[in-house]
Amino acid sequence: MAKKEKTSAGRNLSKVVGDAYMDLHAKAAHGAFVVWIAINVPAELFLGFENVVYGVPESHAALTAAKGVGVLQCEKAEQMGYSMDLCSYARIDIGSVADGGKDSPTFGLPKPDLLVSDNNNCSLLVKWFDVHHRRMGVPHFVIDVPFCYEPQKEKDRKYIIQQFNDLIRTIEEMSGQKFDMDKALSAVSNTSEGVVHWKRFLSFAQQRPSGITAFDSFVQMAPFLVARGTLQFVDHYKLLADETEQRVKDGQFPVPDEKYRLFWDNIAPWHQLRDMSGSLAKLGANIVGATYTSCIGTVEGSFALYAFDGKDPLEYCARTQNCYMCPHGMKLRGQAMQTVIEELNIDGIVFASNRSCKPYSVTQLDQQKLMMDQFGIASVMIDVDHADARKYSKESTFTRLEALLEQIEAKRAA
Amino acid sequence: MSMKIDINKKLKLLKKDGRKIIGCFPLYPPLELFYAMDLVPVVLWGLRGTVTDTTESDQHLQNYTCSVARHLTEFVLSNTSGLLDGLFMYNACDTLRNLPEIIEKKSETNGHALSLIKVHIPMVLPSQTDASAYFKNEINHLIEELEERFDVSFSKDKFVEAVKQIKHIRNLMTRAENRVAKGHLRFLNFADAIHECRFSTIDEQARLLESLIDDFSDDPAFLADKDSRPGVILSGILPPPPSVINSIESSGLQIVGNDIASLGRSYASMPETREDPAAYFLDFYYQHFPCPTLLYTGDRRTTSLFGLVEKTRAKGVIFIGEKFCEYEYFEFPHLVQQLRDKGVQTLEVEIAIEDDAQTSAHNSRISAFAELLKS
Repeated sequence: MAKKEKTSAGRNLSKVVGDAYMDLHAKAAHGAFVVWIAINVPAELFLGFENVVYGVPESHAALTAAKGVGVLQCEKAEQMGYSMDLCSYARIDIGSVADGGKDSPTFGLPKPDLLVSDNNNCSLLVKWFDVHHRRMGVPHFVIDVPFCYEPQKEKDRKYIIQQFNDLIRTIEEMSGQKFDMDKALSAVSNTSEGVVHWKRFLSFAQQRPSGITAFDSFVQMAPFLVARGTLQFVDHYKLLADETEQRVKDGQFPVPDEKYRLFWDNIAPWHQLRDMSGSLAKLGANIVGATYTSCIGTVEGSFALYAFDGKDPLEYCARTQNCYMCPHGMKLRGQAMQTVIEELNIDGIVFASNRSCKPYSVTQLDQQKLMMDQFGIASVMIDVDHADARKYSKESTFTRLEALLEQIEAKRAA
Repeated sequence: MSMKIDINKKLKLLKKDGRKIIGCFPLYPPLELFYAMDLVPVVLWGLRGTVTDTTESDQHLQNYTCSVARHLTEFVLSNTSGLLDGLFMYNACDTLRNLPEIIEKKSETNGHALSLIKVHIPMVLPSQTDASAYFKNEINHLIEELEERFDVSFSKDKFVEAVKQIKHIRNLMTRAENRVAKGHLRFLNFADAIHECRFSTIDEQARLLESLIDDFSDDPAFLADKDSRPGVILSGILPPPPSVINSIESSGLQIVGNDIASLGRSYASMPETREDPAAYFLDFYYQHFPCPTLLYTGDRRTTSLFGLVEKTRAKGVIFIGEKFCEYEYFEFPHLVQQLRDKGVQTLEVEIAIEDDAQTSAHNSRISAFAELLKS
């Protein structure tokens, strides 16, 4: 593997994330209206207000796990009575909140004035936010997004828009601030423009050897969760895509001796990014893409860019509510996966069965069979937990990953 | 559930007269609507005693999904004799929402394609969003779909009749529960009867429940010390296995109430009779006895449990945790704390799919809990 030097986009990422958390704490301290949201809640709506800021517990939990303190925070929640079987993001968040953000890499999140969850990525999020609602006595707004077995229906989109309007009204009433649709439109435009660059960045995985690894893309997702809708967001993803393009032109590849091109299905294993990417690279394997990162900026059933037409921001936000993998079904997931596997010339799929994320993992056994039977793709199922390192075994994982590489070799030899 | 109910036999009997059977999940489907349209809904929940293993289900579901999902999948996929004419499901937890496609695909492969009908029950908080128009559309669409797929028709008169019948059944279930609380009926017999009702016609349900209510062949030994037994409430998504129920009752505890999804929560709601199914079911879902699966009932859960404790004068609550049921497990710590603050003792018992090995551990904990309540 080529020696990993920090890229300009890597340095900028640290700045974007650092600035976002600093800004969040500073504005909250100066009286901003603070909202905690689930990742699917359209953050652009909050930019339609003068002084509303948002924190994303899931993102904070992922960062906590990546910084190596996930287990510590999980244990705090478990001591409070929360089962070890519950989602590790939730346990990290509950543990972190319990002692005011002690041990958090960002000093936690400032106390919210409103909690906004949704049930499309996972419905347990509503229960998780209910924990805070009860403990902190903070109102909880629930956005109900119908699951998509088929492409999103108009009746469902209208229902989602109705709820966005109710959310806006709720914030207006609680904060005393007026919502400005033009500002929200500008925020959605910025997100959409940033997503164009994100897609451009991901497209360098089509190179052989790939210009990126999925591990790079996992890390680079952070601005989606802390800076959506801002100009900084656009600039960052432009920098990322431009720099990656230049590196490819210069012949700089993350796994120069790439022999196996793999595809990842599930949330990133935040506690293993460095170790797993390094160990795979030594085997000549690169996970070049992932469902987790490909679905951003799309609609259910496709990984193609779904661009904003510049008209109605609420309509756009509603239309993209099911874009992540969990809010839509097996058939649509398979459809999107098949296309990207062809585009990226994938040799094998790593299905990461994630004990902390049932909505992502249930159907993987069928999906694996479908990919093998219908498209002849080699694959393997490994056990992970996205944020609880105690539920991960490197030995067993790499035994299976090596078996996958052997499958690929056998297929090539046949 | 005990093993004495042969579900397949029950389904064959239901099928005998040419009735069309709709398997439903999760727990609170619009039963009245199916009955009004001459369909027989059977709620596919608590099938632990019905399937002997999870061989087929294990091909599709990981071992960290709950037993409800695994048994349900096993039951439907291994039941290839065409007993079910269709499957109905509404949105519930993160595991169950993925089952329809798994079942649909495998059923097709098995050559027994099942008609699958899905409805979205709004989960918004009524104080935040008025979902009545959306819900009305869902119910109207469901009626159209049932008419089209099963060649049946809807009539307001038959709907009102079905509403009255179901209300009668729910009343009988409540009366049977009261007999358990008074020590005249064993909880296991009661739970078995409610389970059997789910696979019976309305008339059969009424007969079964009436015989339970009218049965005065009390167990003298059980009845003798009923007043000295500390009362407990069971709470969970399913009743505990027979061994745990026996352990609770033989430890000298009296089950005086239940907050169990497949029992008390499912028959506690009796909305006003209405001709309009959308209006009726809007009341049904939004006034429903709190259940973690109905996300908007979260704020009422603690109050309703307190109410149950007060009404039954229970000294303790035993939480029956279904392993991997995240909905329930997110709420336990809060409920436990709140109850303890009010001086109500609590015990958590976790039931996993392969739980036979845990029996003695459960028994010891239940005995210790009983001693605590008696002291």
